[in-house]
Amino acid sequence: MNVTCSDRERILGDGTPAEWAALEEHAVSCPLCAEEIRGWKSLSVAAQELRDYTDSPSFWPRIERALAEEAAGRAQHAERRGWLSFLPSFSPAWQTVFAGALVLVLTISGGWVYLHRPIQKPDNDKSLLKSSALKEVESAESSYERAIDKLAAETKPQLENPATPLLANYHEKLLVLDSAIADLRAQAGLNPSNAQLRYQLLAMYREKQHTLEEVLEAKP
Amino acid sequence: MGTMGLALPWRARISSTQCERGTRVEPSEHLADGPNPAARDALSEDAALAAGCRSGDLRAYERLYTVHGARMKNLARNVLGNATDAEDAVQETFLKVQRGVASFRGQASFVTWTYRILINTCYDARRSRQRKKEVTNDDSEETPRPEPRAPGAHPTLRMALERALEKLTRHQRDVFLLYEVEGFRHAEIAGILETTETASKNTLFQAKKNLRLMLEPPRSSAAESR
Repeated sequence: MNVTCSDRERILGDGTPAEWAALEEHAVSCPLCAEEIRGWKSLSVAAQELRDYTDSPSFWPRIERALAEEAAGRAQHAERRGWLSFLPSFSPAWQTVFAGALVLVLTISGGWVYLHRPIQKPDNDKSLLKSSALKEVESAESSYERAIDKLAAETKPQLENPATPLLANYHEKLLVLDSAIADLRAQAGLNPSNAQLRYQLLAMYREKQHTLEEVLEAKP
Repeated sequence: MGTMGLALPWRARISSTQCERGTRVEPSEHLADGPNPAARDALSEDAALAAGCRSGDLRAYERLYTVHGARMKNLARNVLGNATDAEDAVQETFLKVQRGVASFRGQASFVTWTYRILINTCYDARRSRQRKKEVTNDDSEETPRPEPRAPGAHPTLRMALERALEKLTRHQRDVFLLYEVEGFRHAEIAGILETTETASKNTLFQAKKNLRLMLEPPRSSAAESR
């Protein structure tokens, strides 16, 4: 086999024994290749300097102790989780199936509990009561207003032509009360649930009622 | 000139067994053609070791240590730079083997798998050491501590080679150590480093070229010194 300098690197990298022999033969007459081969081999020789297989008598006992401790620890751990020890005996596929089944059972249970929960009826009584109370108040107000209007109708002839200054004052007072009642009624119409307005309106009606009674009593 | 002043018979074939290992010089991969009874024995030994370790038999681990312990420690020392860290790494490797042997499916040989764990453990330790060094703000360059070596060792050459190896890429360093120092075949290295035989050969070639550049004096100065 003939080799040349150009084959050298290939043979150094991955040459067959025959190629190495041919390269050695070529190196006899080629100083450059001889030098390269020597350098290449020297690295392998130098690598021996990194080899030290001196035995350390205490090393294996140390490893053995660590292995035994680890094995004992694992055994204890396995005992602690003994009730779950059946799990590894199932394949991952079966474990997935069990996990899926568990999720399904939990979902169904949750759904059943949700559907059968005690239903709390909405607490509408208060609002109904509130509404009915409001209606009652408004109805009472209307009746009260009608009664006062009747009373006012009786006093009308005296107030339109007051015979005394007292009746003239009553007339003016009633005009002011009517004006105040009209304002309060307008406000109560905007905010019918406002109890304070209702109380004020009631107070005005009472005042008007008393005034009208006083007018009737003051009849000459 | 430029050969580090050493010359040994280069045709010494490296055996896969530790006691017969000698100087590793090419070509070594082309000699193992045909059916090899030793390889068959190695395979059955490997399978027996795996089975023993899987069953939790400490004697199997002891056998693994007896056959490979010194080589594992030497490899770890060359990666980590000192014997203490190397012993820790080897011990951690045995523990990892014990923890993971149940999941070992036999895609690679058990011993190859063990060495892969060792290499990864060594580099984890290196990274951890580097992080500690960064935390303590220790800017001093890491210098390998002088350690007792086998009789006949050449400390200057060893230190020069160790320094040069540090400058190689991780992959080049691993392949050089596994092939030239520990005597693994490229097929085994491919299994350990999860690469291909061809890549292992190419990497070794590049590693040796780089090492030569670092270790040998320039040709011109060498010629002048004559």
